[in-house]
Amino acid sequence: MKALHTILSGIWQRNPTFVLILGMCPTLGTTSSAITGMSMGLATMLVLIFSNAAISAIKGIVPDKVRIPAFIVVIASFVTVVQMVMQAWFPALYAALGIFIPLIVVNCILLGRAEAFASKNPVGLSIADGLGTGLGFTLSLTVIGCVREFLGAGTVFGCRIYSADYGSLLFILAPGAFIVLGLLLALFNIITDRK
Amino acid sequence: MTSSLRNMVLSLTGLTFAAAAILAGVNLVTAEPIAEASVKARAEAMAAILPPFDNDIAATATELPDGQTVYTATLGGAAAGTAVETYSDNGFSGRFTVLVGFDTEGILTGYRVLEHAETPGLGARMTEWFSDPTQPTRYVTGRTGTLAVKADGGDIDAITGATITSRAFLEALNRARKAITD
Repeated sequence: MKALHTILSGIWQRNPTFVLILGMCPTLGTTSSAITGMSMGLATMLVLIFSNAAISAIKGIVPDKVRIPAFIVVIASFVTVVQMVMQAWFPALYAALGIFIPLIVVNCILLGRAEAFASKNPVGLSIADGLGTGLGFTLSLTVIGCVREFLGAGTVFGCRIYSADYGSLLFILAPGAFIVLGLLLALFNIITDRK
Repeated sequence: MTSSLRNMVLSLTGLTFAAAAILAGVNLVTAEPIAEASVKARAEAMAAILPPFDNDIAATATELPDGQTVYTATLGGAAAGTAVETYSDNGFSGRFTVLVGFDTEGILTGYRVLEHAETPGLGARMTEWFSDPTQPTRYVTGRTGTLAVKADGGDIDAITGATITSRAFLEALNRARKAITD
């Protein structure tokens, strides 16, 4: 029950993108289309689950003063493992996602969850938190990607909605990322304030 | 856990050694499949962009002084075509590499973008934009001679919103052609 609550709050109350405002670099950089945004979210979720589990497992043997470097070693190791495994056995997936994988190391969501949750909670709950936060990140990136792709190219997940000639390139380029993120953030706040 | 010099050094050293051991292990297991996947991807690209051939094309690689690599395809001992691994430094996000195939007459038979960092949704569309047979105004297969986008007086439609990438892409194709005609 507590695990389910942890997962759900990661998706909504503590949504990494719209509430915690963490991981903005990959959020702005990889959401030029729905599919790349979603892929980045899923890859981050995978690493987040493993790193949360590992950090929770070693929390008893890491002294407080060196916990941050210890967390970074764990996170960077998992990112590298994921990258190598993907490259070896899922080359097609790696070709699509390759450039985003190393970016996961510098995503502050991972360090943030390690520090705020995994280092204080048991392994099972930390995995649930990784799953919830990862899903929240994936959904947010997918929504931003959908909006940008729709306004910029006239497609959603590659399906044409209207002619590309009427799309506004601005939304696919970097300024569009800031504009869409800001507007969605405002929308999210309106919805949560009303409750 | 309270920190002392002793337990800080011990825990961090232990952790980094464990991480190094895990990474070394994973690298040992994945190194071979990664190399195989790369060779396979190259072979698939060759088969897709060249007329049929039956030689070991990877062994024919010849590097030119300008950084391009030329591969010669033969079928039953007779020349079948040439593949050129070429590049452009004028992409929107720096250098990208393209594998271009030509038949024995010098007619372009196909291309495959190998590595690029162009903007997704814009320049990155060069991977399929110029290889769509239903769009003759931008289909590069079957063409000869120097290619240019319409804005530069040529007859090829540039990628919508990515003229810089389109120019760089055609520059790469022209460079590859120069490599086989010279």
